[in-house]
Amino acid sequence: MSVLDDLLLFTALASVAIIVLRRFAFISKFSVVVYVLATVLLIKMSALGYGGEAVYSSFTVNVLGQVLQWRFDALSWFFALITLVVALFTALFMSGAWGDKYRKEHSKEAYGLLQVALILNVLSMLVLLASGDLLSLFIGWELVSWASFMMMALNPDKVARKAAIKYIVYAMAGAMAILMAIAMTYNMTGSLDYVQVMQGMAQLNNSQIAVLVSLYAIGFGIKMGVIPFHLWQATAYAETPGAGAVFMGAISARMGLYALILVIVQIIGLTRVAAIEIPYTFLDMQNALAWVGALTTIIPTYIALKQNDARYLLAWHGVGQGGYMLLGVMIADSIGTAGGIMHVFNYATYQAALFMTVTAVIYRTGTSNFSKLGGLVTQMPLTFMVMVVSIIGLAGIPPMNGFVSKWLIYRALLLDGQPLLFVAAVIGTLGTILSVYKLVHNTFLGQLRLEHQDVREAPLSMLIPMLGLAIIIFATGVMPGVVLDWVAAAQIAIGIAPVEHNLGGIELVQGGLNMIWVTGVMFYGFAVGAIIFYFLGGKSKHIHQYDNYAGGHFLTSKVRYHYSNHFYAGLMHLIGGWYRNIFIKLEYALVSLVSFMSQLSENFYRSSQPAMLVAAIVMLALWYIMSADGSAPVLVQGLQGGMSK
Amino acid sequence: MDNIVLLVVLPLLAAFLMPVVARSSEVVARTLGLSVLFISIGIILNVWSQSGQIDSQAVSIVIGGFLPPLGINFYVDQISLFFALAVPVMVLLFWPWHRATSIREYSLMMLLTASASGLILSGDLFNIYVFYELLGIASYSLVAIQGRVSAVAASFRYLLMGSVGSVMMLLGIAIIYTQTGTLNLAHLSLLAPEKLNNMLGLASFALILTGMGVKAELFPVNSWVPEVYGSVSSNLAALMAGLLSKLAVIVIVRLLILLFPQPEALQLMGMLGILGVLTGELVAWRSRDFVRMLSFSSIGQLGLIFLAFSIPGEMGMMAGIAIALHHMLVKPALFMLATGWRGAVENLSGVARRSPFVVLLFIVLILSLLGIPPLPGFWAKYLLMVGLSSQDGFIYTLGMIIVPLAMVIEMAYLFKIVMIMYRKDNDEPAVNNSNIVDDSNIVDDSNIKVVQKHSKWGLAIAASVAAMLIAIVLQLQPASDKLLSLANQLSDRNYYISTVFPQIHTVRMQSIK
Repeated sequence: MSVLDDLLLFTALASVAIIVLRRFAFISKFSVVVYVLATVLLIKMSALGYGGEAVYSSFTVNVLGQVLQWRFDALSWFFALITLVVALFTALFMSGAWGDKYRKEHSKEAYGLLQVALILNVLSMLVLLASGDLLSLFIGWELVSWASFMMMALNPDKVARKAAIKYIVYAMAGAMAILMAIAMTYNMTGSLDYVQVMQGMAQLNNSQIAVLVSLYAIGFGIKMGVIPFHLWQATAYAETPGAGAVFMGAISARMGLYALILVIVQIIGLTRVAAIEIPYTFLDMQNALAWVGALTTIIPTYIALKQNDARYLLAWHGVGQGGYMLLGVMIADSIGTAGGIMHVFNYATYQAALFMTVTAVIYRTGTSNFSKLGGLVTQMPLTFMVMVVSIIGLAGIPPMNGFVSKWLIYRALLLDGQPLLFVAAVIGTLGTILSVYKLVHNTFLGQLRLEHQDVREAPLSMLIPMLGLAIIIFATGVMPGVVLDWVAAAQIAIGIAPVEHNLGGIELVQGGLNMIWVTGVMFYGFAVGAIIFYFLGGKSKHIHQYDNYAGGHFLTSKVRYHYSNHFYAGLMHLIGGWYRNIFIKLEYALVSLVSFMSQLSENFYRSSQPAMLVAAIVMLALWYIMSADGSAPVLVQGLQGGMSK
Repeated sequence: MDNIVLLVVLPLLAAFLMPVVARSSEVVARTLGLSVLFISIGIILNVWSQSGQIDSQAVSIVIGGFLPPLGINFYVDQISLFFALAVPVMVLLFWPWHRATSIREYSLMMLLTASASGLILSGDLFNIYVFYELLGIASYSLVAIQGRVSAVAASFRYLLMGSVGSVMMLLGIAIIYTQTGTLNLAHLSLLAPEKLNNMLGLASFALILTGMGVKAELFPVNSWVPEVYGSVSSNLAALMAGLLSKLAVIVIVRLLILLFPQPEALQLMGMLGILGVLTGELVAWRSRDFVRMLSFSSIGQLGLIFLAFSIPGEMGMMAGIAIALHHMLVKPALFMLATGWRGAVENLSGVARRSPFVVLLFIVLILSLLGIPPLPGFWAKYLLMVGLSSQDGFIYTLGMIIVPLAMVIEMAYLFKIVMIMYRKDNDEPAVNNSNIVDDSNIVDDSNIKVVQKHSKWGLAIAASVAAMLIAIVLQLQPASDKLLSLANQLSDRNYYISTVFPQIHTVRMQSIK
């Protein structure tokens, strides 16, 4: 029994236990213990994160001439670590006050099912990450898809139901593309084992590679929600019940990136992908994928800018951030891939924290609609602080961790000589900054609404995981070397030169990054400012929350004023014309096409004289066959011969 | 071994005796019918246990002492024995117990059993035709006897289709006979490479395919399916969709392997299969009635089976058998669940709250039907996809594209139902649908509010099917080995010939020496 066996077996048994015990009150504490133990088991394999040998499971299945096997390498370990840590924080978050309220509002069964969905998601993700060949990868892939579907379907509202069904249709389409690709891979290379497929790929010609890469990219891309498959994700994640959204938003879609790195970067190899020229464009396939990533950073981010609900705004950002990861990985040098892979970790921490803050706000106020919020900073200061730390991370501003990974990606784009992609990434970041400001302003700043005057700080059981994540965001921002160690090991595992790094950041001849220095300088600056303002007689004045002006008019404290409707009106005046809902229309057109085809087929099954129709067609066909061939006279002769006798 | 013949003779006898006996005592007549079924099952189990070598060694049973090709013979190998066992078992499972029916229905069921067993066992074309006709008569009458006006109308449509089909099949057999002068399959198989490997042979295949295709829900001759399944009881629909269609498929495949070596024959079947998948799934996507949806999905699945069998080589054969057997398990179980859920799908709103276990069963079954790993349906789909991608040629590439699309469409409509089931009650008003069929014998078309209780028997069948699916997952390795040996035996022409004509085998062996 290897440690991997222990981990998978333990998670599977824990799933069974949680399914059985789901209605008991202690299930919330129980699940926390489960995730702690699973994390401990994972940490036992931590040699993987520092360049250790891959861990194989002793369990294999022989079926239809294939050997299914499971293993963990540095890349899987890295993703598994993120998964388990996020699951642990989610379980903590839902174990206390939030869970009690959810139980009361829905039912014990509903809460139990949420726990079941969480552990099933974790189990299926571990199975996917542990896959040792393409067939077990596909099995894990489908399990993840259906576990996510279960999580989404737990919300009984109509919008959520529609989103869930839309998700599963997209996911099925993606899975089918992958299945096609796997079947073709098997026939082209004669195997589904990673190592043998990798060797077999060398013999394939470019057009074969092009077909395979497109199919795999479509399949994995649908899960990531890249352009043009981005429509399903935001609604589905936003409508998942509170704590579920924390987990789903943080890690679920990243499984697509894992599989994409594994198959396209490691097995097929980006040099092969780069060798494929796309006709009628100046792009090769690698650049095309990079552009898909760049567009994914831009379009969903600007869709997020228009959202009027905190959950939707965050979920749309999740789609956009996936674009950065794809972009980073597709640059294919050691800095870019390091940025892409590291961003998964950073993103998971701040996205989980952000969803937690929004869930906490919903817990206290009952809404996440921007036009019904505002001014909560006085009531929920700690939640506000966590949100500020996280949005600094999301926007990619030092000293939080999001800055490091985005810096790596920008740096790689510049070094690689890709100014257009760089500009695209910057445009995406601009949208991020604008919309996270909208998020924090509309929720926490401005004047407090009358009905929220009794709102208190989020309960401790929710604050602890939030603060914990905030600390991680800051700590890995100051000392990115901790994460970069794992990232470098993962890079070795996928066959890319590891990034040169130290505890503080990147070592690079053309100019590295040391976050300890950056943070030090920043705090030094803050300290100087504080000394000037507070001790050396600089002017500072405390302003009350209700003491402000609107359009030059002074408003009394009786008139609460909070500017949240039609936020960024000026900007929208400039770019509003670009929102044309093209993809929604495209999706609509596809559905209409299916509907049209379906009516055509139905006409056939409704025809009143099918037998006669078929008889006529068959007779015509026979006449054609027989007259086209010389053998027709033989039949006639045979009959005549029979008659003459 | 020779008492295999009783599988056909006994039910046939019972079919004709039952109405006569019933005049004096109805109880005796009913017992007679059921005991015949039990005897049949006993015979097959006996054969299976007695001669353990049937797994490796097929047997040809000569009837009446006249040796083939002049005499007639039954050919017993793994797959035909399996189906011969499946016939009485499934007839027993879907026996119209709960219906206060006349003895005629029982008698027709016996006729169905006899002809179905004969069809799968026969070793010559003429008998295949005869049994096929008998099967047709039994099923038209069984549909018509359901006592509802819509069932009679559906039966008439079915009859028209079936009659045109059997005329074509007869024409096809006639062509073969004029070309070769024999009807014995093994003999034909010997002559086929030189006499039937031409356009005329292809024409006769097309004719036979159209004829047999009526029962096998093949694309252009399947428009009877939704009406018939929609108007008969779930038991009969389960039997027809689950068993009879597969029998016809296996016979077509056997003829294809033995008689028609030309690749065009495969392509023709593959093309019709693709059209079946596409139209079936597309129409199912639009239908708003649960049973109709299942019927169209059945058409789609049969299309998949035809497509799989049209792939030359071992992979295609394995895929075809796997999908066929899988569908044979799952579709009857789904029809059993449909007993309680007839009518518009909108009416199923909130069903999950009332019967969570049944809905869970439904989900397991449709997940397997869709091919979600690690359920058995996935391995069948996987074989199909690998088989399709291993072939060049337009048909197979098209299939490679159409099959995944069809799966996505199938998933969309099946899970739309699941979401409706999990909807809160009174979320949306239920649609009043007059096209609701009652499963009992009431001849009444008034608006019956649906969602009746499931019969315990039907639920037990569905639950055991789900349990079997999971058991297969746990025993994947033996299951895949078994599948391979089935496929090898079914696809081996020379093996068939040498089983029926042992002397040819020895002659060949000697000539090689």
